[in-house]
Amino acid sequence: MKPKGGYFGSILEVNLTNKTAKPREISEETYRKYIGGSGLGAFFLWNSLKAKANPLGAEAPIFFGLGPLNGTYCTAPRMSVVFKSPHTGIFGDSQVGGSFSNELKWAGWDGILVTGRSRLPVYLYIGNDKVEIKDARSIWGKDTYATEQAILTELKDQDVKVACIGPAGEHQVTYGCIIVDRFRAAGRAGGGAVMGSKNLKAIAVKGTKVVPIARDEPFMKAAKASHKLAVEKEAWQNIKRWGTAGLLESKNWGTGSLVTRNYQTTWWPDIAQIGAEEAERRFWKRHTSCPNCPIHCMKIGVVRWGPYAGLVAEGPEYETGTMLGSNCDVAELGGLLKGIEACDALGLDTITMGNVLGYAMELIDRSIITHADLDGIKLEWGDVPAMLELIKRTAYKRGKAGQLLSLGVKRMAEKIGKDADFYAIHVKGLELAAHDPRGDKPRGVSYSFGPTGGDHHSGDNPQTQARWAMINSLVMCTFVAGYPWGPQTPPIFTNMLNPLCGWDMKDEEFWDTAKRIITLERCFSVREGISRKDDVLPKRLMTEKLPDGPKKGAVVTAEEMKKMQDDFYKFFGWDDNGIPTAETLNKLKIDFAEAQIKPFRKA
Amino acid sequence: MEEKEKQDFGTGEEKESNRRDFLRSAFTTTAGGLIVLTGIATPRQNVATAQEKPKEPPKEVYKYLFATRRNCTGCRACEYACSLRLEKVVRPSVAALHVKRYWSIVDVPVICWQCDDPAPCIKACPTTPVAIKRDPKHNGITYIDKKTCLGGKCNKCIEACPPQFLRRHPDTGWPIFCDTCEGDPECVKACKEQASGDLAPCLREEKLGFGVNMAYKDVKVADAAKDLLMELFYPSKGGR
Repeated sequence: MKPKGGYFGSILEVNLTNKTAKPREISEETYRKYIGGSGLGAFFLWNSLKAKANPLGAEAPIFFGLGPLNGTYCTAPRMSVVFKSPHTGIFGDSQVGGSFSNELKWAGWDGILVTGRSRLPVYLYIGNDKVEIKDARSIWGKDTYATEQAILTELKDQDVKVACIGPAGEHQVTYGCIIVDRFRAAGRAGGGAVMGSKNLKAIAVKGTKVVPIARDEPFMKAAKASHKLAVEKEAWQNIKRWGTAGLLESKNWGTGSLVTRNYQTTWWPDIAQIGAEEAERRFWKRHTSCPNCPIHCMKIGVVRWGPYAGLVAEGPEYETGTMLGSNCDVAELGGLLKGIEACDALGLDTITMGNVLGYAMELIDRSIITHADLDGIKLEWGDVPAMLELIKRTAYKRGKAGQLLSLGVKRMAEKIGKDADFYAIHVKGLELAAHDPRGDKPRGVSYSFGPTGGDHHSGDNPQTQARWAMINSLVMCTFVAGYPWGPQTPPIFTNMLNPLCGWDMKDEEFWDTAKRIITLERCFSVREGISRKDDVLPKRLMTEKLPDGPKKGAVVTAEEMKKMQDDFYKFFGWDDNGIPTAETLNKLKIDFAEAQIKPFRKA
Repeated sequence: MEEKEKQDFGTGEEKESNRRDFLRSAFTTTAGGLIVLTGIATPRQNVATAQEKPKEPPKEVYKYLFATRRNCTGCRACEYACSLRLEKVVRPSVAALHVKRYWSIVDVPVICWQCDDPAPCIKACPTTPVAIKRDPKHNGITYIDKKTCLGGKCNKCIEACPPQFLRRHPDTGWPIFCDTCEGDPECVKACKEQASGDLAPCLREEKLGFGVNMAYKDVKVADAAKDLLMELFYPSKGGR
């Protein structure tokens, strides 16, 4: 059945091998079961990929997923990119804000599913129903900003929105990311590498359609109420003012979870030199926001001093500022911003890159590797020029250093051997992001059980994870829609969804849908060999006590870890080993997964 | 030219007490982002005093739509609000004002400045009688006569518009004019709501006078973007 509202009813299916692009109709039942974004992507991924398939192979799909709320009055400016992660080998998804997602929705598509591999570099241009696969040889090799500008110039249209990869994605660095609006990134898990493997440099889109709405009046009322929440909610006022950079100082002085020098401590008084107030004083020039969002969390500025004077950059945000700042001991704002800008331009995930650099610095400190392993680059704590050189070499996989660092900490540790493993901070191969779970214990849930691995953005308890799975499928932003609102949470969404799509979703169905999405994502990873043994925080965080800071002495104990696991599996109806049970699959109506999941259960 | 305009502004201001004179001078000789016709609320009076004193007719104050460009965050709430009013749907591509993003770092709100006579769009209109009309009530350029307008085939007005405000309707090709919501612009309300934090709103309804940034009425969008880039990010060159 064709959807009544919220969806256009078809996704764009592109095969780059045959150079075909055609619509594929999706039924309302499928939409209601998986919503869109991550959920729908997980469904496609499960169906089209066999276990242990090569994530960078031609047949591997990458889904640019939208949800029902994108393009409506509701502030939902995000897109969920779903793929099998080349970085971790399990389920991979990554969300990105900016103006691309709504534009794509207005072009009349609920998502783009790209498969195949082009022989020559191409980019995709979508202008409503008109879809063109265009030659990208002239922009291949350009950084993300130059790519965007070149495409706008070529199409002679300033209103086109572009999502593209940089040199890192082209060289299939497994943590290459997809950049939208120059500074926004679908960063984690390596979507850029997947695009690069398909020789797909960018997607440019312009849309002029209207999202159909089943019952206009009640929808507008609910959407306006949700918008008003975002305008008035007290906690957001600071985000408006300081962006997430405001967290930099508070996590150091207050929470005690500021990741510092590769997770050696969370106490770093130098934070005052790269924090929000310093950025406000010396760097920021303007606020920028996503479509219809009153929070304008993004801050752009220009460096007015030192060797990087004249540099226009975005940030620092909490994650970028921590991973390339305190984690690498960079206490100079200009250098930090140059690092962030370099990662954005080259299309690297700043979180993983910061982890990798901090990791390399500590290994050198402990004489586990030497400068010779990094092609003689004298990398030391806080050495910005050396970091920049390594970032560049990583993006191009140039030399021994580039080859090594482009592996990510897990595979670096495997390659280096010795004690390197202990200092590699990752869960399921994905590096942790800027919040030390010793100081911020609930964050450990997000890292341990996040569908993509060590993701800070998956929810701090089982229920939040379920809610965030919905948010990633709708696809909303966790700022506007995200934080705990208690029992009134499902109505905030269903009040909008029901009139929009013509549904009658109750709270129970809301939670079931969320559980279905998470469980299907889990099934995909189970097929790749994930189980309870992988849902643990890195050894270092469970054995090494925090040496100083507000949470001095804190450590995640084995009992706490066990409790987290038990609670989590119980909430989602998985067995003791973290494998979804047959009853759960049945109850959630994804029993088609049973045949492939069964062998992984303990007898 | 600029000097002359400023002087005329002054003249207009002084005569504001006399509405007719003001209108005549402001709209026949000078600039004109005339937009908003707001009835100022009738002074609060209780029934008793109202009976004693004959009620004064509400004083009409003309306001204009202006943009403080550096405040724009590019959230496009104005486009949302505008399309909601024009077509009852969220569809920024048909909004009568638009926000253009350059180099992903500056956002330029593009609004109708309600040009002085002869307004370039009216001058460029090839039909007889001219299809683009001013509202006789307050002289703002508010509508096209759908009977005489040649529609998507012509678009001479779009080519003629100095700040590139006019654009084609994506379905019909007709030019999209700003009718100022008949004096109560939705875009200004939306902008004010979005700017609820520490940020001042970008769009404003103001009386004609200094500080309303009328200088932008003949400036092309790309040039306005360059100005904004220099204003905000100097000494950066070329947006990076």
